[in-house]
Amino acid sequence: MTLSLEAVGYRYAGATRPSLLEIDLELAEGAVIGLVGASEAGKTTLCLVASGLAPRTVGGQIRGRITLDGEDVDGWPMHRLSERIGIGFQNPATQMSQVAGTVFEEVAFGPMNLGLSRTDVIDRTWEALSSLRIADLAERDPLRLSGGQQQLVAMAGLLAMRPAHLVLDEPTAQLDPAGTRMVAAAINQMAASGASILVAEQKTDLLADIAAEVIVLAKGRVALRGPAADVLADDRLAQLGVAAPAAVTLRRAAATAGASHPRLAEALRG
Amino acid sequence: MLTRWIAALAAFVIVIVIGMVTIGNFGTGIDPENFFDTQGANSFALIGAIALVVAFLVYAAVEYAQTGGFASIASQFDTRTIVLMPIAVAINIILGATVANALKLPIYLDSIGTILVGALAGPVAGALTGFLSNILWTYVVPPPFQNGPAAAFAIVAVVIGVMAGLAGRGGWLRPRPNRPIGQLGIGAALTVVVILGMAWLAYLGWTSPAFGGEVNFNVEGSEAIFTVLGWLVLLLVAGTVIGLLGFLFLRRDLTAAYVVVAGLATGIVAALVSAPISANVFSGVTGGGTDFLVAALRQAGADIGAATLGQGLISDPIDKITTFFVVYLILAAMARRTKARFPQGDRLIEDGQAGDVEEGEWRGATA
Amino acid sequence: MAGRDRLSESPGANRGVPDFLGRPGASPYHRLNPLTKATIATVTAIAAVVLGGLLGPILLVSLAVIGPAAVAGVLGRLVRTALLLALPIAISAFLVNLFFFPGGEAVLLRIGPITATAEGLGFAMEILVRILAISGAVTLFYLTTRPADLVVDLERRGVSPRVGFVTNASVQTVPAMVDRAAQITAAQRARGLDTEGSIWRRVRGVVPIVGPVILGSIAEVEERTMALEARGFTRPGRRTLLWSPPDSGIESALRWALVLALVALIILRVTGTWA
Repeated sequence: MTLSLEAVGYRYAGATRPSLLEIDLELAEGAVIGLVGASEAGKTTLCLVASGLAPRTVGGQIRGRITLDGEDVDGWPMHRLSERIGIGFQNPATQMSQVAGTVFEEVAFGPMNLGLSRTDVIDRTWEALSSLRIADLAERDPLRLSGGQQQLVAMAGLLAMRPAHLVLDEPTAQLDPAGTRMVAAAINQMAASGASILVAEQKTDLLADIAAEVIVLAKGRVALRGPAADVLADDRLAQLGVAAPAAVTLRRAAATAGASHPRLAEALRG
Repeated sequence: MLTRWIAALAAFVIVIVIGMVTIGNFGTGIDPENFFDTQGANSFALIGAIALVVAFLVYAAVEYAQTGGFASIASQFDTRTIVLMPIAVAINIILGATVANALKLPIYLDSIGTILVGALAGPVAGALTGFLSNILWTYVVPPPFQNGPAAAFAIVAVVIGVMAGLAGRGGWLRPRPNRPIGQLGIGAALTVVVILGMAWLAYLGWTSPAFGGEVNFNVEGSEAIFTVLGWLVLLLVAGTVIGLLGFLFLRRDLTAAYVVVAGLATGIVAALVSAPISANVFSGVTGGGTDFLVAALRQAGADIGAATLGQGLISDPIDKITTFFVVYLILAAMARRTKARFPQGDRLIEDGQAGDVEEGEWRGATA
Repeated sequence: MAGRDRLSESPGANRGVPDFLGRPGASPYHRLNPLTKATIATVTAIAAVVLGGLLGPILLVSLAVIGPAAVAGVLGRLVRTALLLALPIAISAFLVNLFFFPGGEAVLLRIGPITATAEGLGFAMEILVRILAISGAVTLFYLTTRPADLVVDLERRGVSPRVGFVTNASVQTVPAMVDRAAQITAAQRARGLDTEGSIWRRVRGVVPIVGPVILGSIAEVEERTMALEARGFTRPGRRTLLWSPPDSGIESALRWALVLALVALIILRVTGTWA
């Protein structure tokens, strides 16, 4: 199932200028797209638009076309879209529903809302917990977990809806280094097993390994796009307010310092 | 659409009249042997509660007959409101418990959340917030916050929520800044007149029969405590007037006047509904600072019903005016965008700022 | 596929559900259906008010509060908690009624212009017993029932999932907000906020805490709304329940019997046929 945005623009309620303009994006099955840009460039807005929360939940106005496998989703209610596209946010704590006493019930929250049969709900929940390797947390109180663990629980809750696509808005932004490692590993693993993900990130290192394509946003428009390796090594990133991945920075520094040993360069490039 | 409200109001009045004629009575003599008014409940509260429920059902029925659905009620419960309600309930309980247990002042401060939800989402949402707050406060919240008597006053919280919802819907809480001195002056003068008028009526009520029954304080001569009380009330009224005038002229926001009137009206209604409950079920003792006020009034010679009503008419208006002010401040601190998405949010924003123009290919949410 | 078997299954069919959900209670009283326990608590509290006098509430407390508490093994905690709950009211009730009871004549004690009367003492005792009955009944419910269980049971019976959500979330938010207030207090103290001292200073010290707590909670509303809607919260109609507390015909009959008995009691009282 391909998610496709064509010439999409978005304006928040009461705003004079649009936050997004002329966005074209295609997320096919199994594809991982990275989204980078300075803060306020529109990364979060694009995530909200792609998942349908904008304008349904957040208000505002939209233009352009959004389709799933060619079908226009304009009239779809949010709960119908939530079964096709899942979205995760930065703050792990506010994604906890506060009505679940255990992680199991927290992850089951989505499928329960969908009204599936009890067996389906239970199967999906265990499946989601196992795929993120947090089945051992099933009995824990979600409000007493670390930030990284909560973020994984939130993602499991999304996976339990069996969406075709996952949109992640800076999932590690509010986590400590341990949490960041945990979540980054989980995302890598999901990508490796063929999930379709649109992930917005300031930490370009995390994208370097998993993203096939990278889009750079600036002032609500697409400034750069292309294969990850090319975009992330592009010289214009700094002007656009994006920090290049460490490997790229090292390579440049090494080149500047005159270290042109071929094997070193080869290792850094890999 | 007006039909629904008229039908509901008519039903409300009819039930109240029927109720008062058949079982209501305002004789508050309580038989000391069994503390229950055996002459038929002193039942303004009971009648009011039944009338409110009937009026609500009539409203819903008329809406269903007109439109085949309950949109105006269900629309008050969108996700955002549902998310706000637990926060509102928690604010009610925590602040209310702090004031009742720790501060022992003759006020409650347990309705800030109710009035906030009422203003942002509507009367039914506010009513439900108040109801749930009181029920949970008694049955489910652990000590030290747990409050035994609270559940009995759930109906009072319902009424407060409804009134806050109506105030919000009527645009009373919409900021009106930078008004010319002339308008502010008129607003201030009118409000002072209203406040003094209410105070005068309360005074009359204290010293003479009212409500077609006997709300009588048996005051012969001036007992010392009653004199002190008199001064206290005078100070509170003066304080309110001064606070209002200060707010009005310092911030040049005319809505301050509306806030005071809304608080006053809500406070009086709340006092009327809660006094019979306090008198009949708890004999005026609910564990907060208000108990001493009731005691003082009884010492001055009032019977239990009159004492609880007197205490209510002192505590409730002050409490509700303060609460409405606090809610107004909270609303002022919230971003416009945050308020706008609530069901009644557009009525809480200054004129001329809400609304988006859909032009050309820009379209809002269709689902 | 769409959940045909979710609500028509009898409530006892909890197979497949992980065993840490819906663990049965520790005692027979715990294992009663939550609605039954709620009915018992409410009927007891209201009956205590309606009965009046001393004997009625005392009998009621022994039967409906102390007895079940002993069965449930929570008697110690119940007594401590109920007393704690009733204490502020009891103090007020005693002071107010002992000294200020109008029309009291048999004087027990005189402190300056204030007199304590026997009638006042009697009245105060009756209020105390009534309050203890109410707080005992409510505390018994609180000690033997998880709020989430009651919510699930009500939802099974048809209450809207949104009401259930608000109730559950409220129960979680109260301690969460208190924690947040404690954190902000600590942070403010580190910045030099004065939290000891005169009443006026303490009241002033409350404001910089209450403000951030309230506004911080409200600021989260937008994020929480989005997170919920992203998980299908807006879907109309019922949702699937993983489990629900068991119920039985006997308990249902008991609930009805209690309610009818209460109604009968009220009618008897109101029409004055009961002394």
